[in-house]
Amino acid sequence: MINKLIAILFLSIIISACNNQSGYEYMPNMYRSPSLETYSTNTYFKDSINARLPVEGTIARNYLSTFYFDGDLEGYLQSGKFAKNPLEINEKNLKEGEALYGMFCAHCHGPEGNGGGSIGHPIYSNIPHYNDKKQIRRTGKTMSELKAGHIFHSITYGVNAMGPHSSQLSEDERWKLVMHVQKLQKLE
Amino acid sequence: MRKELYLGRKIYLVLIFSFLFSNTIFAQIDGEELYKTNCTACHVMTDKRLVGPGLKGVTDKYSKDWLKKWIINSQEFIASGDEKAIAIYEEYNKQIMPAFYFTDEEFDALFAYLENPPVEEIAEAVVASTEQVSTSNKYLPIIILLLILTISYILLILKNKLKSSLGEATESIPQTFYNQYKLFISNKTNLVFTGIIAFVVISNFAYSTMMGIGVYTQYQPEQPIAFSHELHSGINGVDCNYCHSSARHSKHSGIPSANVCMNCHTYINEGTDEEGTKEIAKIYEAVGFDPDSRTYIEGYTQKPIEWVRIHNLPDHAYFNHSQHVVAGQIECQECHGPIQEMEEVYQYSELTMGWCIECHRESEVKMEGNEYYAKLHEELKAKHGKEVFTVEEIGGLECAKCHY
Repeated sequence: MINKLIAILFLSIIISACNNQSGYEYMPNMYRSPSLETYSTNTYFKDSINARLPVEGTIARNYLSTFYFDGDLEGYLQSGKFAKNPLEINEKNLKEGEALYGMFCAHCHGPEGNGGGSIGHPIYSNIPHYNDKKQIRRTGKTMSELKAGHIFHSITYGVNAMGPHSSQLSEDERWKLVMHVQKLQKLE
Repeated sequence: MRKELYLGRKIYLVLIFSFLFSNTIFAQIDGEELYKTNCTACHVMTDKRLVGPGLKGVTDKYSKDWLKKWIINSQEFIASGDEKAIAIYEEYNKQIMPAFYFTDEEFDALFAYLENPPVEEIAEAVVASTEQVSTSNKYLPIIILLLILTISYILLILKNKLKSSLGEATESIPQTFYNQYKLFISNKTNLVFTGIIAFVVISNFAYSTMMGIGVYTQYQPEQPIAFSHELHSGINGVDCNYCHSSARHSKHSGIPSANVCMNCHTYINEGTDEEGTKEIAKIYEAVGFDPDSRTYIEGYTQKPIEWVRIHNLPDHAYFNHSQHVVAGQIECQECHGPIQEMEEVYQYSELTMGWCIECHRESEVKMEGNEYYAKLHEELKAKHGKEVFTVEEIGGLECAKCHY
């Protein structure tokens, strides 16, 4: 009798366990409140986008830029001459720079900065090496001779097939990256 | 003996072949290497434009002398007033090609390579099997049910046939069912058992339904662009933080704006198949980009890409990504599951309070070498005389941490 009971219990659990539907909401207002969320729609605006761009020229707190060069070739050459890394080169910044490099650069430039990143697309398969001493770049110099300002300019505005990364990285983060790239330039 | 002879023949063949091809191979390696180290950052070997024009048939379009002058110093060449040079300079938005000081031998090798580029092997498209296993699974219970009904129907007909041949009274099929049913409920044990089964099934169903309220595990909505995390994150190895860069700074992990897509897709216009190319074209439609001329269309009204939200915590629970990613040093996958293997993202974790609490009870805070906890760790060590602390022990279960 008990055996039968257990068998029936098992059987019924197996039958009812087939239910994998989910997503019922009890009092949906608790889940979806009328307050606006970052990516929600906002009918007060014509285009209904809640994620607005800041007014042009807005400077966020603690984000006052020290880099005032344009995105063209002249700005590039100028930044190489005049832009200075405002951060102190120390172990902590270098370590953070290396971590950032792993997140933002290594998939194309490779962990050692000599190409060979994980992206297999032909367009990104032959990336200039940071320690290259042969090929003359737009500065009239080689990759290994590029100055901090050049590197910062390239990250900010992009160069050739590399897009601008200023929206993903704060200026401090970019300067930390520059530190690490300068370290890779010296690799043999 | 035979084997030796065979081996000898093989070596002989190899020698002949290497002799035949040695000259051409050595000449080519040089040109290919030059091309790959110097040109591929801006040019491709087709007629598609990258940063500069595609180099297919470039040696037919321009004379070798012209090309030499252009490559050695394009700026000077343009300044000298050459019409073709000015035309190409204008066509490519006055992008400057850096100067390359090749020797004559290097030029010969490079031109030889450009004249006869290696024919690229056309990758065979893997035809996905169109058979859908999931649909056959879905209909399986119905098929089984139909099968049982047909068999019982046939058996009943047989029974009637046998009975009629014996000269006994036959009964119709509904009658048989009704008689069987009456026989079944006349037995009390049967009733008790059926009752128990019904009770367990119903209460289990009710319990799981109620526990599933507001739980979206496995939720996998269709997104406006069939973006594959498996391809971008798994195969191409792009770090999560590259696109979700605000996860380190903010409450939200952030949906990348289209300019992040365009960092690569300005130049990568084609998917691995036709479908992929169509999906990439959807980004261009949103931002107003013309992939043929590689320019943004002026005066285009850009449209947002309306991604469907998968993970949604109720408004009364506070969760902060940067707290977990930067201070807590948790991998994204611990909550989001094997995202790098998901062709289409689904919700991996329950995101219920029980799930949060369980993790806070069990996980040890990574305090060692973590600047964020340096001071706290020293104080806790002095106070409690131990090294390892769980999230619970530093207040991770307090109500007001998440509900305020």
